[in-house]
Amino acid sequence: MRRAAVLLASLVAGLATFPGAAAATPAPVAAWYVYGSTPAALSSSAYAHGCDFAKAQPGAGVRILLLDFGAARKLNSNTWGAIDFSNATFSNADILAALERAADGYHNCHVRGSADIVYGNSNYHLTASGMSSTDVWYAGYHQSETAQALSSYQASKGYGSQTADAASDMEPSWDAASITKQLVNGEAAQGWALYYDFRSADGCPQSGSADGPCNNGWHASDVGYVSDHGLAVPLPEIYYPVNANQWTVVRKWWTANQSRYSFAGVTASTGVGLTPVAAWNTLGSLNSGLVGSELACFGC
Amino acid sequence: MLRLLTVAACVLAVGGAFAIPRLGFAGSAPPDKAAALRRLGAIATTDSNTKPVAPPDPVVRSIPARMLGPDAPTPIPPAVLRVRNGWLASDGRTLVAVYAGSAGDDPSVGRLVVVRQNLVSGNQTVRIVAPDTTGALAIAGAPLGLLAKTAALRIRTTRGRLLRLDLDTDTVAGSTLTRSSRTAATVTHRLPPRSSDQVSHPPGR
Repeated sequence: MRRAAVLLASLVAGLATFPGAAAATPAPVAAWYVYGSTPAALSSSAYAHGCDFAKAQPGAGVRILLLDFGAARKLNSNTWGAIDFSNATFSNADILAALERAADGYHNCHVRGSADIVYGNSNYHLTASGMSSTDVWYAGYHQSETAQALSSYQASKGYGSQTADAASDMEPSWDAASITKQLVNGEAAQGWALYYDFRSADGCPQSGSADGPCNNGWHASDVGYVSDHGLAVPLPEIYYPVNANQWTVVRKWWTANQSRYSFAGVTASTGVGLTPVAAWNTLGSLNSGLVGSELACFGC
Repeated sequence: MLRLLTVAACVLAVGGAFAIPRLGFAGSAPPDKAAALRRLGAIATTDSNTKPVAPPDPVVRSIPARMLGPDAPTPIPPAVLRVRNGWLASDGRTLVAVYAGSAGDDPSVGRLVVVRQNLVSGNQTVRIVAPDTTGALAIAGAPLGLLAKTAALRIRTTRGRLLRLDLDTDTVAGSTLTRSSRTAATVTHRLPPRSSDQVSHPPGR
């Protein structure tokens, strides 16, 4: 009996110490860029995305339904939201309404598994749009708050197969590291939603484990920060083999200098150098046991 | 001793319930993320509400064709495309957006990215059209406003050469370009041609 207890205790301790087993290569799930014209049109297309996702969802696990609403913006003194890819601005209230319709669409068309419906935005030209660091902090804060409100909606409607989180495409080339970090800090301060970081480590070193330079004055440590600080979780864009090399450098630096670092999975796309499955496998081969079984795909 | 075994087994079970391998987390979750990961690990696979909800009224709201400048966010990461400009049109049911520029890792390679969405069925495609060593590309001529038909955009290379992007086939051709170029993209759902993709007044007319 004593030997059994020791064995179990060792197993538990081992779980806390050693990398988890490598996940099998996941099947890709669709992610969407949001183009809207009016709040009603936004909701209408979000419903379609939720239903389309549910009908095509592979397997029985939890998968991320990522809707990328464009760049985070402060719309007026008390209103935050996003400017979407058609150059239309939407408040977080508009975005919440659209996310609720995505939840309805997923519910109506649900076949198997469950979904984490994610409010995505980006750091595109935050400074150029006139936002201060404080504004950006609040953008992250209110983004997490919006995800939490979506979760409340899901619970109130009896959508037990769903939850909600947030995400951001924080590209080094699109704005400075210092202001981009405020998105993560604000989100962490609100403290509810996971913050999937789905972007490239643009211009970062492709080998080694040093805190080398990336594009636009960023360093590998900055990429590590916005992808792991607080509730941030890396879901890196792996479109070409070089992207996997760059993210591996980030992981090595962060692990050596800050804390343990694992990838939630991979963000991929059609039409680029790596197929979605090859993208996941490429990152996985360089980070054995440290890549989760998510594979979000734009264009799938 | 039995209690110890039970506790150990429970810890083991809870660790597994975090879906830790799913998110790549080895062992216990980082403290800041623990609550959110617990929530993620506790999602059911069925809804207690088994009744369908009323879908929103379909909204068919066209977006007049327009150029997209630097103020408009681009969805294409810089690793794929250094965007010079873009163009967008939607008839309310389908949408096409074209982004022009150069490859993220080689400014001598011109590149176009075409994003299409079916706003009714919800599907989306992303296609890269790469006309090779043309230098950065920019959209130089495109129909604007409410369109009946759109078929092509005029594309200009850094050396001033004009190309034509055919939106029916997503191919590029030009008077001095000897071949149409198109990536072997793994596109799974190509949207059918639709009226908003036809040009009512072709660029250059």
